[in-house]
Amino acid sequence: MGFVDATSSMINPRARRRRLLRKRFLRRPLAIVGLVVALTFIVCAIFAPVIAPYSASATDFNALLAHSSRHHLLGTDELGRDVLSRILWGARASIEAGVFSTLLAMAVAVPIGIIAGYYRGWIDAVIARLTDVLLAFPFLIVAVGLAAILGPSLTNATIALGIGAAPALIRVARGEALALREEDYVRAAVANGASDARILVRHVLPNMLSTLIVQATVAIPAAIIGEAVLSFLGLGVQPPTPSWGVMLADAQSYLSQAPRLAVYPGVAIFICSLSFNLLGDGLRDVLDPRTTR
Amino acid sequence: MGGFLLRKAGAALIVVFLSSIVVFIGIRALPGDPAVALGAENRDPAVMAAIRQSYGLDKPLPVQYVKWISKALRGDLGLDARQLPVGHTIITRLPITLELAFLAILVGTVIGVLAGVIAAVRRGKPSDHAATATALVGLSVPHFWLGLMMIIAFAVDLHWLPASGYVSFRAHPIGNLEHLLMPALVLGTGLSAVLMRQTRSAMLNSLSADYVRTARAKGLSEGVVIGKHALRNSLITVTTVIGLQLGALISGAVITEQIFVIPGFGRLTLDAVNERDYTLLQGVVLVAAAGYVVVNLLVDVAYSLLNPRIRVSGAAER
Repeated sequence: MGFVDATSSMINPRARRRRLLRKRFLRRPLAIVGLVVALTFIVCAIFAPVIAPYSASATDFNALLAHSSRHHLLGTDELGRDVLSRILWGARASIEAGVFSTLLAMAVAVPIGIIAGYYRGWIDAVIARLTDVLLAFPFLIVAVGLAAILGPSLTNATIALGIGAAPALIRVARGEALALREEDYVRAAVANGASDARILVRHVLPNMLSTLIVQATVAIPAAIIGEAVLSFLGLGVQPPTPSWGVMLADAQSYLSQAPRLAVYPGVAIFICSLSFNLLGDGLRDVLDPRTTR
Repeated sequence: MGGFLLRKAGAALIVVFLSSIVVFIGIRALPGDPAVALGAENRDPAVMAAIRQSYGLDKPLPVQYVKWISKALRGDLGLDARQLPVGHTIITRLPITLELAFLAILVGTVIGVLAGVIAAVRRGKPSDHAATATALVGLSVPHFWLGLMMIIAFAVDLHWLPASGYVSFRAHPIGNLEHLLMPALVLGTGLSAVLMRQTRSAMLNSLSADYVRTARAKGLSEGVVIGKHALRNSLITVTTVIGLQLGALISGAVITEQIFVIPGFGRLTLDAVNERDYTLLQGVVLVAAAGYVVVNLLVDVAYSLLNPRIRVSGAAER
């Protein structure tokens, strides 16, 4: 039985490709580090209530602005709240904004980009102009507008970040579709009388998936930093909900008394987004050998 | 050349027009009836109707739009909550941000292009790895946080630079640069990480091109080959990247000005939201969007001057 399995996986081109990709990925230690650290942050975000030693809003008035100690590993803030616990809870907002804004951008951008690239002509020109309009509104300006219209919240910040990430993704999806429509298997499907929907979903989309995965991994760290920026400015997560950006905003008043309060959340943002960037660079090398450096 | 520029200008005009509609509709989507706000305590229907009529709020939306945009084109963006002309406020704040942006682009381009060229020329050597790793760090670090760290180090601890504030260049040139040094570094290093990566890959492409091989075969010195032949062609990429990074630069200016308490365009944007001053917000967003489009049009012009091929063939593509 084992013998049969081995041969079938050797013949099956998909299994072979998967094995090849895994082998290439495992040869990149930095990408593995990125994957492990990124997963750690995701686990922290999901299990923050279990992992964190204190609740994020529990105040200890006997230890205001305390240095790190056995009780508070990273010390406490101006209200005596445990910094480590707040950083663990804060991972939630960051991961949420990073992942959901990227998913939103994908859901909007990929269909639009595919249609523009596959059909070309006037529809491509219209989409190009609309993309230019989107580009003319940087994510912070969109966030400012949404905060004014709907009020500041993590959801609105996530929407703003998603809109901000969409134009680049539209261009990537369009470029891929433009190249894929000339492929023999797409032409064969057209000749066979397959419907447009079937061609786009079964032939074009799956073949641009690896490029999209790489783009998504690169979009997540940008959104994580973006969430911190918006929360710092009061346009995202609202206190008392913990977020790394809110923590930095609070720390701003204590830069001379307790500079460490401004250090830890920034380091968390940095390591979190670096891990996704390392993973993205590794995935790019593995999935897209054209750009091998 | 003329045809190419006309096409680009036409596209830019369409984008500005569509953006202005987005801004107009966005502001109309705000909760609350502007007539109620203008009428203050007075809720008498007759007064309300009079207010609606005098502000043109009783007209259909397209009519209101045309009235608003034709005034905006003449520089009249209405009065803000303090009854000050919005256009004037923006014009007094904009130069501060433009100076900051100029310094940031200068810092970003010098660091980014230099590091990119060195990394490409010494591909695979330690200096390449160091530059590439630094760029990755630069992409991952939240730059406003670097700003906070700089304030702790250079203002709070060392007292070398002022932590915040702004003085105009005309009043105090040295003080002006002292105040803008840290903000420009914060904003510029963010740009340099992106530029370094793009310059490196553009240089790697042009270094392996035929014309570089020909230049070397002619016996030109390595400096001339890199500086004149390879870099010249990579600069096209650099210009495009700067244009595309403009959105990030606008977002970056907002937060940088907030951290360093610089009374520029970015702070004005935040003030408009925090004070719920919708006329001001409308003007600020319109100017930001139009500015983005105009600068990118200028980038396209620069692009076609740097690369004559664009003018002739690839005009429709980007």
